[in-house]
Amino acid sequence: MSMTKPISRLDVLEAESIHIFREAAAQFRKPVLLYSIGKDSTVLLHLARKAFFPQRIPFPLLHIDTTWKFRDMIAFRDRTARDLGLDLIVHVNEAGRAQGINPIDYAPSLYTDVMKTEGLRQALDRHGFDAAFGGARRDEEASRAKERVFSFRTAEHRWDPRHQRPEMWNLLNGRLGTGESARVFPLSNWTEGDVWRYVLREKLDVVPLYLAAIRPTIERNGMLLVLDDDRMRLAEGEKIVPRRVRFRTLGCWPLTAAIESEAADLLSVVTETLAARTSERQGRLIDHDQAGAMEKKKQEGYF
Amino acid sequence: MGAVLAKDADHPATGAAAKELLCSSAEITTGDENAQAIVHVLTCGSVDDGKSTLIGRLLWDVADLPEDTRASVAETLLPDGRIDLSRLVDGLAAERAQGITIDIAWRYVDAGARRYVIIDSPGHEQYTRNMATGASHADVAIMLVDARHGVKPQTRRHAAILGLLGVRRVILAVNKMDLVGGNEARFREIEADFRSLTARFAFEEAAAIPVVATTGDNVARSSSTMTWYEGPTLIEQLNRTPPRGSVEAASFRMPVQLVVRRPPDFRGLAGTVTSGSIAVGQTVIDTTSGRRAAVRRIATMDGDLEAAHCGQAVVLQLDADLDIARGAILATPDDPAIRTKRLDARLVWMSETPFDLQRRLFLRSATDLVPVSSVRVSARLDLETLTEIEASDCVHNDVVLAAITLRRPVALDRFADHKGTGALVLVDALTGATVAGGTAVALHEAAGQEEVGFRLTTAMLAEGVCAGVEPTSAEFRRRAIALLKVLKAAGVDAALEANDEEMNGAYLQPSAHPG
Ligand SMILES: Nc1nc2c(ncn2[C@@H]2O[C@H](COP(=O)(O)OP(=O)(O)OP(=O)(O)O)[C@@H](O)[C@H]2O)c(=O)[nH]1
Ligand SMILES: [Mg+2]
Repeated sequence: MSMTKPISRLDVLEAESIHIFREAAAQFRKPVLLYSIGKDSTVLLHLARKAFFPQRIPFPLLHIDTTWKFRDMIAFRDRTARDLGLDLIVHVNEAGRAQGINPIDYAPSLYTDVMKTEGLRQALDRHGFDAAFGGARRDEEASRAKERVFSFRTAEHRWDPRHQRPEMWNLLNGRLGTGESARVFPLSNWTEGDVWRYVLREKLDVVPLYLAAIRPTIERNGMLLVLDDDRMRLAEGEKIVPRRVRFRTLGCWPLTAAIESEAADLLSVVTETLAARTSERQGRLIDHDQAGAMEKKKQEGYF
Repeated sequence: MGAVLAKDADHPATGAAAKELLCSSAEITTGDENAQAIVHVLTCGSVDDGKSTLIGRLLWDVADLPEDTRASVAETLLPDGRIDLSRLVDGLAAERAQGITIDIAWRYVDAGARRYVIIDSPGHEQYTRNMATGASHADVAIMLVDARHGVKPQTRRHAAILGLLGVRRVILAVNKMDLVGGNEARFREIEADFRSLTARFAFEEAAAIPVVATTGDNVARSSSTMTWYEGPTLIEQLNRTPPRGSVEAASFRMPVQLVVRRPPDFRGLAGTVTSGSIAVGQTVIDTTSGRRAAVRRIATMDGDLEAAHCGQAVVLQLDADLDIARGAILATPDDPAIRTKRLDARLVWMSETPFDLQRRLFLRSATDLVPVSSVRVSARLDLETLTEIEASDCVHNDVVLAAITLRRPVALDRFADHKGTGALVLVDALTGATVAGGTAVALHEAAGQEEVGFRLTTAMLAEGVCAGVEPTSAEFRRRAIALLKVLKAAGVDAALEANDEEMNGAYLQPSAHPG
């Protein structure tokens, strides 16, 4: 038996997240964990395992595959599912794929709408999930900062930020009205720094793309893109340059900007993150589309 | 892109130097004081008094804001050419369009070893429910008052809600002092008004600070114009606020969230310790059944613990297989929680529809959901006189005293004794909406053990309609609920012994939500 550990801030956050997982599992009929392979999902999954230990996680994982994720991400996903014996559902919006919707020929917002948002709605409806756990944090973005831990969606999966339910203390009310479903955010009160410190403390494995390495890149609109396969068409004057880069946030490779960095191990990444002068969303092309983009996407059913 | 990251030379990112930076900047390695070093700060006060601007100013002056966030806020200027600092917290499109706050914003600021969780609430009366949501999480509240207008009814309402929810530390910030020429007499007048609220709602004697949110006077730096004020700046006052008091010394409470099982024979009770602590070998009592058992194991994925302390999320394995489940509150036998069917509660009515006797409600306690048989409002707080006047109904945003009767007993504590197990919300049975939130002020102990007419035990089900079905399976649940519905339709007052809220409430589920 281990001695009583001193309680740290990460312990407080961990306990709160576990409490949230257990409340949701007790109250919803058929929850699912939205697994997007990034660092937040990694922490989310780890917390879910802790919440139900020694029982197995009592719900499946769902990955919405846009078909444009980094190959390293897919490999990591499949290895994690195998090693932990997880029940993983992978869903692709087949209608979108058949239409050839991709992030190169289409506007990022349209592509995200079809392959991510629409894909998510399809999967939730098809399986009849009434709650989905997500790794979103309030410190990510101004409209996220307004969201509840149990966040409700209409039958059409819309978020109505003007009429959120009161949520007092840690009394989480998961009772659904007709047709409603819920999004549950156990990491609501974590910051980006907390997530990295926790990854380090718990010795969690993350996708290697978070660590700096020499990768083939192009510079486009002031952003560094890493070429993951040969689907990208180069514009006039664009050159493939090997650079030492890493990612702060992971998504679809043509829409996620890398940063130049020497941080090749987790400790260096955490140190660099804590000292960073820009927000992590800076690396997501989609969020620069328009002001209030995130809120708008969420109202349409984006996670 | 890379340019924004510090260059190698001035940024040693490896080895000992990095480790040191890491430890000093936040990973908390020493004792308990670190856990308590999270301070939740709420803003409140009437609409337009400058709450969001004040928080924006605070973030702008002291927080480590990312450069792109600063740049995007600086993009849109107010008509007079100033930066609109409220945009740092007013993140919804509707808020920016209307210039008011609609829902609370959560911001996280690390200052040394301390983390401030800042919750900016809306002043508009229509969104009082959101302020109440924020207030339930607050350790300290900054109450804003516009120097020109003084204390308003909405200021008093917010004070009453702070009082109701047990927020005792309140800092008065008299804002927009620039618009009254930094006049000390005006400040003292408002301060005196506020002291009457302090006395009425048992706030601890706290600072009153004259500020100008737009310029930052007395926010992070002392004012150079209001030289008559010699007290602390807002930041200094916040830094003086002692962190959340530990409830480690109080008696043990753990509301059971769910049962975790692992074949062949592990059955544990999962929950978060809300007060006190418990050690292996100690006896616990379940208030609802009156049964006792000793703690055999405290299980976590990181290994078994000798003891579980306030705030920890654990799984307790008992030495006897009691049929304890969700909704139970584990305590030590010398000071158990109370089993009650009748209680008095102080509530803030948050539903936009007025109080209605016919509405079917549930009471949600720490982890239980109990059908309510009646709610009777007895008094309402009058915002002019701050006295409770006799009343029999209430509307949106009223603070009331009510007598609640339940269809079956629930385990509760008085809020004054145990915050974690004395808080409650009322939930609309049909829409799921949270219609009121509040605290238990008096509990009338239920006599006898069981008032439900008929208890269906897991064992009975396993021998009967659920024979051959795994007790944790969905099929077991489905059959149990079906049987329960039949019994209830036949007028039998039945419930499942396993305290499964969804099953016991099954007959009230809207039809679109299959049980
Ligand atoms: N002159 C002056 N104007 C101020 C000051 N503080 C805020 N204001 C202005 O007062 C108006 C309201 O400010 P907000 O910060 O939005 O007020 P609020 O209290 O957050 O409003 P709600 O959240 O909607 O209740 C804005 O136009 C601010 O620029 C101040 O110290 N001096
Ligand atoms: Mg505001």
